[in-house]
Amino acid sequence: MAGGGIRATHSGTCRLISPEMESQVFSRLRVTIAWETLRAMLTGARLRLALVVLLSLVFWGSLYGLFVEGFLFLESIHAEVISLLFNAFFSSLMVMLVFSTGILLYGSMYCSPEARLLLTLPTRAEAIFSHKFHEAMWFSSWGFVLLGSPMLVAYGVVRGSPWTYYLLLLPFMVAFVMIPATIGGICCMAVVAWLGRLRVHALAIMVTLVFAGGAWLGWSLLGAGGPGGGTTEWFDQVLARLAVAEQKFLPSWWLSSGLLEAAREAPRPDLRLAALLESLKFLAVIVSNGMLLQLLARGLARSSYRSGYSQLVGEVPARRQRRIAWIDQALSAAGTDAGRPLRLLLVKDLRLFRRDVSQWSQFLIFFGLLGLYFFNLRSFNYNLAYASMISFLNLAVAGLILSTFTTRFVYPMISLEGRRFWILGLLPVHRDQIVWSKFLFSFIGGLLPCCGLLWLSDSMLGIPRSLLWVHEACCVVLCMGLSGIAVGLGARMPDLREPSSAKIAAGFGGTLCLVLSSLFIMSVVIVAAVPTHLAMASRAFGGGGPPPTGLLGWASGPQGTAASLVAVGVLGVIATFLPLELGLRAFRRLEP
Amino acid sequence: MIEFDHVTRTYGEKPAVTDLSLAIHRGELFALLGPNGAGKTTTIKMLVGLLRPTHGTVRICGHDVRKDPRAAHLHTGYVPDEPTLYDKLTGREFLWFIADMFGMSRHVAEGKIAREIEHFELAEFADDLAESYSLGMKQRLVFAAALLHDPDVLVLDEPMVGLDPRSVRIVKDLLRARTQEGMTVFMSTHTLAMAEEMADRVGIMVRGQLRFLGTIAELRDQMAVETTSLENLYLELTTARPAALPPAGS
Repeated sequence: MAGGGIRATHSGTCRLISPEMESQVFSRLRVTIAWETLRAMLTGARLRLALVVLLSLVFWGSLYGLFVEGFLFLESIHAEVISLLFNAFFSSLMVMLVFSTGILLYGSMYCSPEARLLLTLPTRAEAIFSHKFHEAMWFSSWGFVLLGSPMLVAYGVVRGSPWTYYLLLLPFMVAFVMIPATIGGICCMAVVAWLGRLRVHALAIMVTLVFAGGAWLGWSLLGAGGPGGGTTEWFDQVLARLAVAEQKFLPSWWLSSGLLEAAREAPRPDLRLAALLESLKFLAVIVSNGMLLQLLARGLARSSYRSGYSQLVGEVPARRQRRIAWIDQALSAAGTDAGRPLRLLLVKDLRLFRRDVSQWSQFLIFFGLLGLYFFNLRSFNYNLAYASMISFLNLAVAGLILSTFTTRFVYPMISLEGRRFWILGLLPVHRDQIVWSKFLFSFIGGLLPCCGLLWLSDSMLGIPRSLLWVHEACCVVLCMGLSGIAVGLGARMPDLREPSSAKIAAGFGGTLCLVLSSLFIMSVVIVAAVPTHLAMASRAFGGGGPPPTGLLGWASGPQGTAASLVAVGVLGVIATFLPLELGLRAFRRLEP
Repeated sequence: MIEFDHVTRTYGEKPAVTDLSLAIHRGELFALLGPNGAGKTTTIKMLVGLLRPTHGTVRICGHDVRKDPRAAHLHTGYVPDEPTLYDKLTGREFLWFIADMFGMSRHVAEGKIAREIEHFELAEFADDLAESYSLGMKQRLVFAAALLHDPDVLVLDEPMVGLDPRSVRIVKDLLRARTQEGMTVFMSTHTLAMAEEMADRVGIMVRGQLRFLGTIAELRDQMAVETTSLENLYLELTTARPAALPPAGS
């Protein structure tokens, strides 16, 4: 081994670096990591990257088209409503950014191994905050950019805005994001430093208040107490309620005012210059407030980050004694002895699901929001054809949300057994039972919320009973097929060494699962919807005349509906049992 | 070089470290032993600034770790029990990052990085991403990073976890050489054989209190046994009733 001799002490070779140098070191670190991550995606996850880019472009394009139509419609009836909509949109995004950045920063500043590394280096506390803040801001703001940019570009096109408007879009968005993101960072550090153990309760109270406020606003906007939506009076009431977002002290008001000024088309150069300067004034207000908040945040980090970290690390986690839940006991005892191993595996997975907050909270949030939307469908008047179309779209939406869960949580289930595979391998349990237990867990778990939500949607839309049962049948097929695809592919392509379910789902298999699930959902919905809509269309265009004959008559009649249901059933059987069979064969041969 | 001055740390009502007073001198290799939950990791975390003492002061090279953490960290190298690396950096890039954080000039950093890569035999994988490293490779890289700036104080928490015999030998030889050159080493370990072989002094912590401080020979004298291994002495000390043994230094 090389070495020996008197070594120079550190003071000859190292020193405390300046804030500027520290900032440069962290910037280089972030750039290197980002570049390497991109390179890894380009070489190892091309399918996923291509899918993300393609779907983002489709999403952006679709939103852009919708917004263009929307702005054209609104401008023709009530031009001032656009200002209200901008304010409402940006103020709600502002609230979301505060929470999302705060939560991201909490995880990265207080709970990550990187924070532990950086706190043992001669690094300034505020430099660590700035480094983590940049990351959190990028993570939490991409959604804002993806949603906001098509809207703003569409507005500019509809208004015929000058080229300076498009040039100012990015500076405005970035400057605006800085404000709620920094507020989120300040709240995060303040809660940790001053509330300590009460931080969870404080967060729960804040989230509850925001959710309650949002629910009240949504309820009052859409009108409690029955249908009436779409009338002029209802529209005026909605606008009056949205005016609460037009407060001049809110950054969202500065943003929307600045953008509206920049978008204004003026006939003379001096008026165009005046509008531009007015817009730049708002940009300056946003930038200066963002910088002030950053100064405050860095000061707070300097004074409280290390002590807050110490406080958090020094907390004794509350001990919770877990007893066997009644549902676990009931499931274990129900049924025959022959099926007991399968039931016990189900109980284990159910217990893990209940104790994983990230899983069931996302489950509740997504399906809860869907339920909120379905419940408010009754606020509008529909004709049957329109209601039928919306009901099939709602079926597709419920299926797509379920597919995100099956891809994110069900697909990795077999892989996550990897580290515990030796336990399962030694048990008197056939490998097939392990796969089937995952399938049943996913199928039963998805059936109740999806069928229940669809029942709610159809009830709110006033769908006839016969069509409602068609939807429920499709829902059962969707749950079965999506579970089969996720479990089958998970067993066919397990990654037993990877402990992170997010990374497993983000790989090739997870991406393939998502793509196949989406294709399956679209196939089922289109096949089921065709006869119904042919029947609706023929009634609508027939004008009360004799019913259609020939192929059209067959397809739009009861035989057509029955045939479509059979086709849906066949699709469901293929989607369920083909991947499951492939997965079972591979899993039997698997050597961990 | 390292001073614990009446340091106490409590977790809620429960004391994790009670009135620890300890001085470790230049060029000394000190091993802190104790059963699980004795307070060793808490002591280490206070030393490297991750935890603040409830009472008392921790100093490294005269710098209060709480009041002047950056100056204290400038003198310190730390090898945690679980190595932390950036998955998307290569080993060499990680060492450059550490060198930049310690304000080394380009020329000096180049030489030192090359030196540590050679010392820890990292050349074969220094340019691979850290996400592909085994636990032993990560531990060696973290060692290299901790020694890059020639610290006055090296803090090790379970340093031999994940290392193969060759790597263990490299680390031992390096620690011997560096302590002879004046580096102070504070090591927490369960590997009694290593403590017996390497340590100038040992401290045995039981339930947050330092029950013994001294050399192995002094421990044998205190336990009134002549020829027995550190393992037997350690087990005797850590399973005895607290009242039967006074704290170290009393």
